[in-house]
Amino acid sequence: MAIEAKAGATAVSPGVAAQAKMHEDLTAKWFLLSSIAYFFIVGIIALTIAAKFVWPQLMGTAPYLTYGRLRPLHVNGMLFGWLLPADMGLTFYIVPRLCGVKLWSEKLGVVTAILWNIIVLGAVVTLPAGMNKGLEYAELITPLAVLVVIAWVMFGANIFATIATRKYEQMYVSTWYMMGTILWTAFVYLTGNFGTLFTTGVNQANLNWMYVHNAVGLIFTPVGLALAYYYIPKSSNTPLYSHKLSMIGFWSLAFVYVWTGAHHMLHGPISQWLQTIAIVFSVMLLIPVWAVVYNFFATMKGQWHQLRENVELKFLMSGVVFYLLTCFQGPMHSLRSVNAIVSKTDWIPGHAHMAVLGAFSFFAIAGIHYTIPRLFNRPLHSVAVANWSFWFFMIGGLGFFVTLWLGGFWQGWQWNNPSIPFIDTVVALKPVWAVRFLSGVMMFTGITLFLYNIMATVIGSKTPQTTAAAARA
Amino acid sequence: MLRKTDSNAILFVVAALLLFAIGGLLTTVAPPLIDKTWGKPFENSDPAKGPVGKLRPYTDLELKGRAIYVREGCWYCHTQQTRTLLADTKRSGWKGVDSPISTPDEFVYDQPHMFGTKRTGPDLSRVGGKYNRQWHRTHFRNPRDLVQGSVMPPFPWIANNDAEFEALVSYIQTLGRAKDWRPDHDYEK
Repeated sequence: MAIEAKAGATAVSPGVAAQAKMHEDLTAKWFLLSSIAYFFIVGIIALTIAAKFVWPQLMGTAPYLTYGRLRPLHVNGMLFGWLLPADMGLTFYIVPRLCGVKLWSEKLGVVTAILWNIIVLGAVVTLPAGMNKGLEYAELITPLAVLVVIAWVMFGANIFATIATRKYEQMYVSTWYMMGTILWTAFVYLTGNFGTLFTTGVNQANLNWMYVHNAVGLIFTPVGLALAYYYIPKSSNTPLYSHKLSMIGFWSLAFVYVWTGAHHMLHGPISQWLQTIAIVFSVMLLIPVWAVVYNFFATMKGQWHQLRENVELKFLMSGVVFYLLTCFQGPMHSLRSVNAIVSKTDWIPGHAHMAVLGAFSFFAIAGIHYTIPRLFNRPLHSVAVANWSFWFFMIGGLGFFVTLWLGGFWQGWQWNNPSIPFIDTVVALKPVWAVRFLSGVMMFTGITLFLYNIMATVIGSKTPQTTAAAARA
Repeated sequence: MLRKTDSNAILFVVAALLLFAIGGLLTTVAPPLIDKTWGKPFENSDPAKGPVGKLRPYTDLELKGRAIYVREGCWYCHTQQTRTLLADTKRSGWKGVDSPISTPDEFVYDQPHMFGTKRTGPDLSRVGGKYNRQWHRTHFRNPRDLVQGSVMPPFPWIANNDAEFEALVSYIQTLGRAKDWRPDHDYEK
């Protein structure tokens, strides 16, 4: 409420009103609303598979509800149903504004959104049916993967055409990251989904891990950082600390990230020299990460008090902290001695969830809280609900990450002592999985409140006359 | 030069793709060309050089079983790699004999590969021949009947379907068998 009062003090400038008229934003609306719906639906799947660790017999006689079929639905649903379309929707919102022009083709954008929904629905049908290609993150059957490529080309063409017609010559760092995402994703996705069709064994695994690693590193990282670079200065009304630092962060990411795929197979049946290369470049990742994180922290210098009242900034800055932590863990895991303990344990899902939920989903949630009121020209339904949602995400998330790290580390030590029978190391983890389920319930509550708040904003009764949020646009 | 990419989108695209392509090509296309063992099936008849044996292509039945293994997502919880860690060779071992580590030449017929990333259940890279058909049928029906405390889901639709069950078991029994490393050759059917 406080944020509305504060923002309400500033009057709507004529420029803002003109800009609001210029942008149609139909594509952004389509992408954002469907992504939030999938966040909720796939959240139910997430809770179900967490529950199966606690009650292994749960829904155990229905083939399409077995753990091994719901897990890929959870992973693909969260990555390609929730997070990526949310990122795409926000890209459709941000790029035209940073370029000072309309989106190149609103029609093409809406068709892309519809196609994307068809892909996600296809995944919802095929994965529980057991139609699984058997490659992590590339589970979707080839026809659906082809549709993803088509949709991505349509998305990329639209964004690049918008950038080509831009009014401001200099491109802001968010624009670079979005362009980078579009370009790299194309090659990374083709490698992981089609290059793997023509290879076998270790050769295929190497391509698979190049894709899996860069799905996070060259798809979700750059587009997530693009959001953070846009929304942190916007939401805090503070200019970015350093342009040069953002360049260092971007170009070192472009060079370093792609080399690290083989760190998923450390100690495994893959050439030692390739493992060593992956380790060296994994440690070098600290450079782009620190350049980015320092820039964000320095931007917030003297502005931290805003976190008391600004929910978007709460999500953004805790996302930055999670990003730093997850990107510190990554290089450390890739050291052979640490890897011998944590690899293949429950530590890894703790690490992966901190990246995808803690960092990149937090950025997207912040962006949606900021953007939806502006798209629909209505104030956010309730700042209080947004705050509750934040704390449910935060406490549930921390409960999830921290218990899995501790449990995973303990599990790794047990595995390295072969006198402990394997089943004892499973039984030892049961309390950890129970806490993970309860943390999942909290996170799902966060998702539910988030969905409710956004839907209430979109179809709510608050009239455009009282739009304090729109004034801040 | 990179400073100019700020305002020149074409230069930006070229630079972003070039920097990415260096690592992209050197880590994906180059390694199999450099390391020939990635594509050559395992074969050794000289006991002095370590485990003897020969990797053969899967039979039709085994491929059918493998497809079931992929379909049910077994690979999300079971890895198939005995890593270069002492504990792994002991856990994959049998009757006090340590298992050899997994090498790339054991997997050249694997499409898709099943190395896995997460070990919720035990590693299966050397499980072939350790348990007999009856054990597997009971285990698939309800894992907790044989292993107290297990969190593996039951798979009644496989245990009760003879064609699928036979195919899956015949695949499982191949795992880790190419290197014929067990002293007594006491493999279960």
